[in-house]
Amino acid sequence: MDCSCDTTSGAVIVTAHGKVDEATWEAFERHLGDGIQRAVQAKLPMLVINLAYLEYMSSRGLRVLTIAKRQADASGVAITLAAPNEVMREILAISRYDKLFPITETVEAAS
Amino acid sequence: MIVRFWGTRGSLPVALTAQTIRHKIANALVAANGRHFADAEEAENFVENHLEFPAGATYGGATACVEIEAGNGSFVICDMGSGLREFGLDALRRCAAGHERTYNFFQSHLHWDHIMGFPFFAPAFDPDARIVIHAGHAEAEQALRRQQEEISFPVPFDWLRANFEFVQMEPGVEIAAGGLRVETMTQHHSHGSYGYRFTDEAGRTIIFSTDSEHKIDKMKAEAAFVHFFRDADLVICDTMYSLADSVSMKEDWGHSSNIVAVDLCHEAAAKRLVLFHHEPTYEDDDISRMHQESIRYEALTRGDSALEVLCAYDGLEIHL
Repeated sequence: MDCSCDTTSGAVIVTAHGKVDEATWEAFERHLGDGIQRAVQAKLPMLVINLAYLEYMSSRGLRVLTIAKRQADASGVAITLAAPNEVMREILAISRYDKLFPITETVEAAS
Repeated sequence: MIVRFWGTRGSLPVALTAQTIRHKIANALVAANGRHFADAEEAENFVENHLEFPAGATYGGATACVEIEAGNGSFVICDMGSGLREFGLDALRRCAAGHERTYNFFQSHLHWDHIMGFPFFAPAFDPDARIVIHAGHAEAEQALRRQQEEISFPVPFDWLRANFEFVQMEPGVEIAAGGLRVETMTQHHSHGSYGYRFTDEAGRTIIFSTDSEHKIDKMKAEAAFVHFFRDADLVICDTMYSLADSVSMKEDWGHSSNIVAVDLCHEAAAKRLVLFHHEPTYEDDDISRMHQESIRYEALTRGDSALEVLCAYDGLEIHL
């Protein structure tokens, strides 16, 4: 799994490629933590997580999203999930995580 | 090895209502679409082959009780939920036909839904029965006696005529019982719970892991479960809540989700997963939906080998 981090005028955007599973969840957690810190330092209200390029996200990855949300909430940063591909759309629905996070069709709509 | 599910609900027994049964019958009649059935057997074949499971049957409502038949002559039972009553009646029938009257129980924990069947366990009145209760908790006998004190139940524990033994198991220390090698591990649940790993002489392995919460801040600890589940032929797992519920409104309620169960089984290279300890508020359609979603999630996240995902119901029998 690879993660990149970009900044716009309104948000920090973390884009993940590959799988978030038992081998990569801790790295994903670090990347999201870094993204939250970047948003705090830049005084940006939003962290957008781009799900367009993920093969899948296992329960560890989904729970990392919750960990990140708790950190973000404590820091005054909101998290939006953006551009889920078809697999991620299904996983979010099956896990009912689509009830826990706002989800936008595109990264632009979130940021 | 045969696994029989006598009770598959968690928390509280439930029962179908007259209205629910009427709906099932009405929907079945519509599905039959005017078909003529010569007799009950033909009608049952139609139900079996042409109706989805929730339409033609039910997942049932008894609380946790699972029997493992390992073929060495004694009974092996996981938990004493309300399903234990039906097991007890069936056991009496088998004993009348010559079955050995030794019962090896393995308790995940002592919460009410996992011991409530014991006061109705008919073999406990058999003076020739030997009942061995294995538990990780030291208070197993206390818990059973307490629920039969007069304030709660009219028949005290001391009236039971069977020969009782209480064995406290230690995590990581394997014992032999009922023709099986048995190991236990601690799980996260209110007042603690224990998972069990059963292995027969042929090396076939069954895992019983219910009432086990996989906490969001302890994901590294899941490696211990992956090791415990390793290469299992069958894993029976608590899948009571959605993952979202388990990390939000039902966090710290002591249960797990179908998503986590599939992931642990994938990592452990287990062959089959049985979804278990169903939420009592779920109707048959809800459980069926959860089962189908679990099958789909397994396919979406599958690695080298497929995991068969089954859904427990009262009366399910699995042959290994």
